[in-house]
Amino acid sequence: MNRAALLWRVASFAVAAGFVALWQLIASLKLVSPVFLPGPDRAWAALVRGFSSGDLWSKLAGTLEHMAYGWLAASIAGIAIGAIIGSSRRMRTYVAPSLEFLRPLPVSAIIPVAIAMLGLTQAMALFVIAFGAIWPIMLATIHGFAAVEPRLYEVARSLQMSRLAVIFKIALPSASPDILAGMRLSLTVALILSVVCEILAGLDGLGHWVLLSARAFRSADLFAGVILLGLTGYVTSVAMSLAEHRLLAWQAARR
Amino acid sequence: MASAAKRLEAVYGTATPQIAFDGVTLVLGGKTIIENLSLGVRPGEFLCIVGASGCGKTTALRLAAGLYQPTSGKVNFDGQPMREPRREIAIVFQDYGKALLPWRTAAGNVSLALEAGGMPSAERPARIEELLRTVGLPGHAGKYPSEMSGGMQQRLQIARCLAQEPKTLLMDEPFGALDAMTRQGLQDEVLSLVAASGATVIFVTHDLDEAIYLGDRVIGLLPHPGRIGIELSVNLPRPRDQLSTREHPEFLRLRRQLFDFIKATEQ
Ligand SMILES: Nc1ncnc2c1ncn2[C@@H]1O[C@H](COP(=O)(O)OP(=O)(O)OP(=O)(O)O)[C@@H](O)[C@H]1O
Ligand SMILES: [Mg+2]
Repeated sequence: MNRAALLWRVASFAVAAGFVALWQLIASLKLVSPVFLPGPDRAWAALVRGFSSGDLWSKLAGTLEHMAYGWLAASIAGIAIGAIIGSSRRMRTYVAPSLEFLRPLPVSAIIPVAIAMLGLTQAMALFVIAFGAIWPIMLATIHGFAAVEPRLYEVARSLQMSRLAVIFKIALPSASPDILAGMRLSLTVALILSVVCEILAGLDGLGHWVLLSARAFRSADLFAGVILLGLTGYVTSVAMSLAEHRLLAWQAARR
Repeated sequence: MASAAKRLEAVYGTATPQIAFDGVTLVLGGKTIIENLSLGVRPGEFLCIVGASGCGKTTALRLAAGLYQPTSGKVNFDGQPMREPRREIAIVFQDYGKALLPWRTAAGNVSLALEAGGMPSAERPARIEELLRTVGLPGHAGKYPSEMSGGMQQRLQIARCLAQEPKTLLMDEPFGALDAMTRQGLQDEVLSLVAASGATVIFVTHDLDEAIYLGDRVIGLLPHPGRIGIELSVNLPRPRDQLSTREHPEFLRLRRQLFDFIKATEQ
């Protein structure tokens, strides 16, 4: 088992290395103009330069901040609203159709509305990110709350548990695998929307960095930013998986 | 109400029955599941309910637990109408796998009942350990239900019910899914636990031998709709013993009587 996992890890690194090699090959042979496609060597150099000159750090911090605030706001609101809707059958039947209408609405459609209302501000970014990231969390929470084993509610009733105790001791833990999965999906959404908002509103962040680099035809800097965005997505998602693993240790016992 | 009290008094003497069904009818989804059921359970009595599958045993137990409200008639607990479930009445569900919290360890599951009862957290660990020892699960406190066998999970559910310090213990085919050896061991454990706590018990089972072995009284239900078809007093000495009780002529006589009843209902 452990051996197989190690082999998979090695294989996935090999694939990644293969892609980088291919990229280097295409760039070195100048199959695509260097103006548009720098090789990994130049992108790496730009990355190092960006960090040592100090600018990239603040851009990265900006993006992380937008992402984190939006995601946290989405998580808190999504879990709270999802819990209210999910724990009542009547709410589910009344509200679910409206949700089905709102959910497939692309977030990009509300960006103009948000800009009109809030201007090109941090508040607008926070609103857009939170609005986009709330759906996976809220829908997962509704599902998780609706799927609580009814028998456990009967246990709670015969223990005369308070409503609050039922939510925190029965419903939330029971729904936690769904909620955490929703939060993981939202993490990606929050990153994408952070970049979009930075580009649109010129807020300090990697999105802005990428935009400026592209405008100035600094393709190496552009790629450095894109690589950093990819890494951000990867690292946050790995961190989330680790947190999930810890919080859901009881599920590992079941499997 | 007054007539019911009189009727029960005539049967049981002056003591108020702990649980009293008075002309209880329950209709679910347009179907009469239980019809005009009257029944009193004395404090400290061990009552067993048997009957064919689908005759309404679980439903009767849920009425006693306050999980269902009768369509007509009354269910009383200690002379008071039962409006909702209460901590003094613990219920051991048939499907133990669903009745335990999978995200809590054995200790955590027992703790749930102590928390609900408002026990300060400092006092809980000692009590949890004691309860787990009582049901034969010492040293399993840190295990999750998914890491335990069916018999262990059922013991854990019983431990949680004991943590409620119930006046009445309702058990729905608690040993239905267990092998014969585990089952006999648990039967004796339940008997000694109940003898120690003085709780009143309503015990539902498919197994006629089990009903007679455990009970002070056995009631057989008739199906469609559920109603009492036979009522037998079990005058067997206590403590009961797996070998000698089951060979007792009275045991064999009751077993025969109950067997004939069940056979007749199935035709
Ligand atoms: N919520 C419900 N709505 C409608 N019918 C129900 C409901 N619950 C139970 N019934 C019906 O009531 C009858 C009695 O069910 P109950 O579960 O009490 O039987 P039981 O004697 O416990 O059976 P078993 O021995 O199989 O557990 C069955 O015919 C069942 O289909
Ligand atoms: Mg049943």
